[in-house]
Amino acid sequence: MIIVNYVVAVLLLVLGLYAVCTQKNLIKVVLGLGIIDYGINLLIVSIGWNDGGTAPIFTISDLINGVSSNFFVDPVPQALTLTSIVIGACVDAMALALVIMIYRKYKTINSDEVRRIRG
Amino acid sequence: MFDFLTIDFVRHFPVIAVMGLFLCAFLVEIFGAKNKYIRNTIVLVAAFGAFALITSLVKPVLFDGEILAYWMGNWEPVSGYAIGIGYEIDALNMFFALLVVTTILLAAIYSIKYMARDHHLGHYYTLFLMLSGSVLGLVLTGDIFNMFVMIEIMTFASVALTAFRNNKFGSLEAAFKYLIIGSIGSSMTLAGIALLYAQCHTLNMAQISAVLGSGALSPTSICAFALMFAGFGVKSYIVPFHAPAADAYMTAPTSISMVFSGMVNKAGVYGMIRLVYVIFRAMDITPIQLFLVTFGTITMFIGVTMALAQHDFKRLLAFHSISQIGYVITAVSLCTALGLEAGLFHAMNHTLFKGLLFLTAGAVLYAAGTTDLDKLGGLAKKMPKTAVCFLIGAFSISGLPPFNGFASKWMIYQATFEKATTTGNFAYAFVTVVALVVSVMTLASFIKVTQAVFFGQLPANLRDVKEVPLLMRIPMWIMSALCILTGVFYNFVQQHILVPAANAAFGVTKYIDSMMGEGTAAASGISDYAVQGVEGIVSIWNPKLWLILFAIVLIAVFIVILTGDNTRGRVLEKSEEDSEDGKYATFFGGEKSAHSHVSGSDLFWGFKHDFKGYFKFIQGMHSGVVNDYALWVVVGAALIVVFMFATFMFI
Repeated sequence: MIIVNYVVAVLLLVLGLYAVCTQKNLIKVVLGLGIIDYGINLLIVSIGWNDGGTAPIFTISDLINGVSSNFFVDPVPQALTLTSIVIGACVDAMALALVIMIYRKYKTINSDEVRRIRG
Repeated sequence: MFDFLTIDFVRHFPVIAVMGLFLCAFLVEIFGAKNKYIRNTIVLVAAFGAFALITSLVKPVLFDGEILAYWMGNWEPVSGYAIGIGYEIDALNMFFALLVVTTILLAAIYSIKYMARDHHLGHYYTLFLMLSGSVLGLVLTGDIFNMFVMIEIMTFASVALTAFRNNKFGSLEAAFKYLIIGSIGSSMTLAGIALLYAQCHTLNMAQISAVLGSGALSPTSICAFALMFAGFGVKSYIVPFHAPAADAYMTAPTSISMVFSGMVNKAGVYGMIRLVYVIFRAMDITPIQLFLVTFGTITMFIGVTMALAQHDFKRLLAFHSISQIGYVITAVSLCTALGLEAGLFHAMNHTLFKGLLFLTAGAVLYAAGTTDLDKLGGLAKKMPKTAVCFLIGAFSISGLPPFNGFASKWMIYQATFEKATTTGNFAYAFVTVVALVVSVMTLASFIKVTQAVFFGQLPANLRDVKEVPLLMRIPMWIMSALCILTGVFYNFVQQHILVPAANAAFGVTKYIDSMMGEGTAAASGISDYAVQGVEGIVSIWNPKLWLILFAIVLIAVFIVILTGDNTRGRVLEKSEEDSEDGKYATFFGGEKSAHSHVSGSDLFWGFKHDFKGYFKFIQGMHSGVVNDYALWVVVGAALIVVFMFATFMFI
């Protein structure tokens, strides 16, 4: 079951890169970036997953006994994923804001025409 | 007098420096949005504070060789597992941190006058301080995920600052391309970090190095290494990843261009060194050395040839930045004591002279309103002080003695040549020749800039140009002085700064032990690099090597002359583009022309004509389409992944 996660994560990554490299519409390029982020988020969460594990929270009885009988999911990758989601959202917001500005200035969002700096 | 600066006291300084910059970034927006005096005070206090805090660490870390290990909130490792975020400062980070704080301080001083004509300066300084804090945090941290977060903050701040003057030509598209390429790079780094975590279950760099141990890498680790390698490659803008850097350096405000070339791409270089030397300890593997040297050599060559073809002052400097980073990567990847010292020395010198050159470009932009080489000319009469500073920077970057560029480039030639003799690999001698040729082309390109901007005829519309204010000249003078001082006293620099920094990169066990406790490295079977001559001071003036080098260059020149076609004296055809304006009528038609300033693009016209096939190809490659640039990154990363698997599976 977990292997599906890895396959899908890599697929998303490749799909996102494909979109960034081939799509001429700048909004689609930004969407491609988003898809790359989702792929990586899925990858990180899957790394932390332990099959049959519970949420990484100590119960009162664990603390009283001093020993945890629970089998936890690794919490660190989940924290990393949260950070990564926030960063990904910021990237998308900023890129879309730039696309709006580019549209106002260039009157187009076709990447073949947004290339005044070249050579 | 400085007795209170004990090790336990200064241990807190790096973290305070980083946090201070971030804190002031917000204070500036809250209190300084309206009042410019409060704003400038906060910025200068933050910049000077970071500078003072970091320089006070020079003695314990660089001179005494201490390694400062700092755990945030005192979360020390529990039973050998790092659970908190750690800052670890050894001589290598210290070296880069010094470059960063110097750049921050000078850029802050320069910004005060340079940006005074712009609006919304509160936002500008917020972003500037965020950028400064993130780069400082990036080089000081010992935690790989913290490094990623700092990389992301750095990318955001850079993008926003690139687009800050959004009414200016091309700044929006430059920012967009920078964001797309930069994010792909950070995403690759993050994927690499995730895979590394899956292998090692830790995010601390020292512990990762210890857990990976001395045995063969697993396929997952190889993939992580390749992805992170590509990620840091994007951040240091080596060649297949360099395109958006040139655009961003060109369109960002000049104080920010200086910050970009002075510390943002140095942060990438630092990440690269830390990754390859310390975390994976892969630098003594010959194919990896050759691979990185190839990257570096291609970078320096393509950078300089693209620079020769430019018409814009700042874009030209941007391509030179890329070219000089090629030198740094080449030298660093030799994995010899001299090579690493030379690379670090050149990184430092690049920060100084390229910062200086960007500042003079900013002064020209401030005074004359343009950086187009074809519209400038004769400014040396109007701005003599800026012209002198520019010449010092130009001499340094072209490697003329006694400026610092000469010392570091000379060490690089020597290091590549020494590598060729010790390994018997002819490729390294070829690298020496390429490095020399690139240096000559750098000189040629700066002759062109000098002619186009400061000498020649003054265009009519620039009659009223005035010298820039004192506050802008002070950073330029400081940079000029540093360029000369580090060039003249290279021995001091090498002994007290470069040797400790290089030793830190080679001394992996000490790095691991001071973070994770004594004996950790030995327990996982890790040993230092076997490098000879780290302590020895290699004389920069070694006549025998000089002579051999001279012979090599002579042979190269003869080969070029003999293989050239014998067309000297033939009348060249006038090309299509030249006939449009009457500029060349004086030369071809015999008519007298009113304004016949020899502009920058004319100076090496013959050279460019001879190699027009190459120039057409390479300029066509930089098409400006964001998809193409992304494709380069993907292809480059794919190449790196394939190469790493091939190397580690078959050694």
